Amino acid sequence: MRVELEGLSMRFGDVTAVDRLDAVIESGELVALLGPSGCGKTTTLFLLAGLYRPTAGVIRFDGAVVNDVPPERREIGMVFQNYALYPHMTAFDNIAFPLKVQKIPKNRRREMVLEMARLVRIESLLERKPAQLSGGQQQRVAIARALVKRPKLLLLDEPLSNLDARLRLEMREEIRRIVSNVGITTVFVTHDQEEAMSLADRILLMREGRKVQCDAPDMLYLRPAHRFVAEFLGNPPINLLSARVGAGGRCLLLNGGTPLTDLPEDIEPLPPETPVVVGIRPEDFRLEAAGVALGDPSACRGKIAGRVAVRETTGRETLLRVETCAGAVRVLAPTGKAPHPGTAVVLTVEPSALHLFHPETGESLRKIPQGLPKAASGVQLA
Amino acid sequence: MIRDALSRGTILFLLSLGAALMLLPFAWMISTSLKAPNEVMLMPPKWMPSEWHWDNYVRALTMAPFGRYFLNSVLVTALSTLGELITTILAAYAFARLSFWGRDFLFSLLLGTMMVPGEVLLVPNYVTLARLGWIDRYEALIIPWTASVFAIFLLRQHFLFVPKELGYAARVDGAGDFRFLWTIMVPIVRPAIVTIVVLKAIGSWNAFLWPLIVTNSREMRTLPVGLTAFTTEAGTAYELLMAASAFVIVPMIVLYLLLQRSIVEGLARTGIKG
Amino acid sequence: MPDKPNLRSTAKAFVYLAPALLVLGTFTIYPIVESFLLSFYTDYDYFHDRVYRLGFDNYLYLLKDPEFHLALRNTAVFVIGVVPISIALSLGIALMLYRPIPLRSFFRTVYFLPTVTSVVAVAVVWRWIFHSDYGLLNFGLGLLGIQPVRWLTDPRWALPALILFAIWKSLGYNIVLFLAGLSNIPETYHLAARLDRAGPWRRFWSITFPLLWPTTFFVSIVSIIGAFKVFDEVYALFGGSPGPLSSALTLVYYIFVKFYREQDYAVASAAAYVLFLITFLLTVIQLWIGRKRTAV
Repeated sequence: MRVELEGLSMRFGDVTAVDRLDAVIESGELVALLGPSGCGKTTTLFLLAGLYRPTAGVIRFDGAVVNDVPPERREIGMVFQNYALYPHMTAFDNIAFPLKVQKIPKNRRREMVLEMARLVRIESLLERKPAQLSGGQQQRVAIARALVKRPKLLLLDEPLSNLDARLRLEMREEIRRIVSNVGITTVFVTHDQEEAMSLADRILLMREGRKVQCDAPDMLYLRPAHRFVAEFLGNPPINLLSARVGAGGRCLLLNGGTPLTDLPEDIEPLPPETPVVVGIRPEDFRLEAAGVALGDPSACRGKIAGRVAVRETTGRETLLRVETCAGAVRVLAPTGKAPHPGTAVVLTVEPSALHLFHPETGESLRKIPQGLPKAASGVQLA
Repeated sequence: MIRDALSRGTILFLLSLGAALMLLPFAWMISTSLKAPNEVMLMPPKWMPSEWHWDNYVRALTMAPFGRYFLNSVLVTALSTLGELITTILAAYAFARLSFWGRDFLFSLLLGTMMVPGEVLLVPNYVTLARLGWIDRYEALIIPWTASVFAIFLLRQHFLFVPKELGYAARVDGAGDFRFLWTIMVPIVRPAIVTIVVLKAIGSWNAFLWPLIVTNSREMRTLPVGLTAFTTEAGTAYELLMAASAFVIVPMIVLYLLLQRSIVEGLARTGIKG
Repeated sequence: MPDKPNLRSTAKAFVYLAPALLVLGTFTIYPIVESFLLSFYTDYDYFHDRVYRLGFDNYLYLLKDPEFHLALRNTAVFVIGVVPISIALSLGIALMLYRPIPLRSFFRTVYFLPTVTSVVAVAVVWRWIFHSDYGLLNFGLGLLGIQPVRWLTDPRWALPALILFAIWKSLGYNIVLFLAGLSNIPETYHLAARLDRAGPWRRFWSITFPLLWPTTFFVSIVSIIGAFKVFDEVYALFGGSPGPLSSALTLVYYIFVKFYREQDYAVASAAAYVLFLITFLLTVIQLWIGRKRTAV
């Protein structure tokens, strides 16, 4: 089912939870609503479900406006954050409940429940009550209950947040398998960037009720349209440095005058002295041992000198905190090559890896391709 | 604490002494109820009947229409409990889950009435019932007692603890409010409902002042009213009086022993408000 | 719920509320107002709903009526006689019953038994126990060399007999409340105090008692209000009379007499409102102290 949101708004008293949201979810897509808590993502999900009625704007399912259609007639299935399983019913009865409401005959009901149980792999647990099931099993029952009436849209509210770390990985794969098995359009809400990136075909990133960017996960990461996107995605977080455009209009100077690098090629030349915010992901720095001659300002191939202050190994990679003239930056290096604290280092960065943002509006100064992602679009960066 | 200060033996002794004093009236009631008339009034008292006169029960219960009293009590208890349950479940759901104008005002108003002692209501209610022509009829014994603010309050608190998502899930599943209330909410709060039913049943079975006032004829008396009337009818035949009293008490004791846990927990709940 | 109330949702809610509101409106809310008005009727024909004159006469009557004074005094004596003893005994029993002891659930069952049984029915056996010539109580006192007491027929002893009966009846409920309160006190405080080498009495007075204070206070207020409303016990113990020479005439019994026996509805309503005033003040004190405690 194709879902369109047009100028969708939801106000609770003085609070605007969702503010003029426009988005299109294509049929069969798996879309994540991502954002910090209070950004309106759950409200958006509840609007899609029909549990809230929008104060303005339009929701269309396959072209038809559904604003006034109650939840039970929207052909949706929904899984709640706490699963909302009926505690006094067995797993079987939970899954059968929507069918019972629809007065589907008992034999048929049984067949449909068993089919769902097979899909989510809980055939052996059907006689248990929710309290006797683990978190992952409850999650499966909830998904089965949502899918049993063959909805056209599946809505998941923070589907993995109540699970421990290991189960989360397992259920992530399971949700992907089940959803692609059924081929249903799916929207899920999450505050966890990793979950959104790994599961979704596309991510709709929200802040304060508004859409910030909606694109494929790698595009969001590689081409953030806004400083907020760059900050929100990525772990460890991106480094943001204040800089200004150098005399020639093609070079970036850090505060203090250290030349950083040339402006990327896909950017319009900026007048000299324009202030910008430069974003550099920790993995985009190249580390060189000190002693290499510092950059020649005229070439504008800057090398930032610094000293390793903190070293934190996460396994394959190591996070360094490097004190430089432009302040402390986070640098990610392969563990084998990561220098120890106290070591003097030199950092360089490729122009193509830079993210440039307007210091006031936060908008990206680079061109952000709109529309659906093309597989190769990220490659042109290099 | 006390148990460290007193030895285990002392505690057991004190508790047993207390328990004996609590039980003595019941034991004395049963013992007397089985005695021959000439053994009742003896000094020093005879603790156990020399012969067990079960026929005292038959005599006592046929002397006055105790069968009718019993049926009246069962009917009044059952119907007022059922009525209270229905009105309470519906109203508590409205206060817990439905949004409507004047909700907070109405709820405060009802809570406020809990402070008013029932004795204040006696006169106008009697007159209302007289005007309705219900005096000395089952309506008067049952209908005024088919709603309780306290029960509504108690059940609403339990409804509020049910996660909201269950309601959303039910709506997405296609269940309306009415179906959601009866197939999901009510089973979930079953312990609270058992509490309400049991407290109501005990209160209704033991109620005295109201049935005394609104009944005139023998046929409409409930057990407690019938029993007080019997105390004058039986005169000094204490063995018969004791048999009749035991007959009134035993059903509640049986109910209590069966549902002890929910009764005691229910009563504790009525006391500890947050 | 985020949904704002509208006409539709209000109409729906009132369908759910209708049964309860119909009953409560007719038999609780209306009579509260009506009874209040009635207490000011001084010349009226209530059954035909005609009122000729309003005033404070009924309250003035109560002010002067020696029977009413007697009822107030007896009720006060009853409250003072029952509440402290019942609370002290039930607290002691609850403390003994609180932690594991052999036969604990048996004891709990037994102590609670009087609470669930009909006042009227157990009063019948208590009358027999209080019997001057053949009663168990006088027999027991006789063994101690005490002269028989005419419990139910001597005006001096009627109220004490009533108090004794009421304490027996009320213990179970208070024990249950105290046990619930005790189970809310975390065990860790006692362990900590033990480590600080506080002895058992010290621990009781400096930990259990202060932490149990809200429960004790609540139980006291509930007991006082309940005791102010005593009626069934009096009626049943003295066979439909307020005791010899009205020596056990209580406030509610007075209301009952004025209303039911003398059909003086206005005075009965005024007396009922005096009772309301007393219980209301007690409730306000409870709320006030309760709030002060939580504010600290």
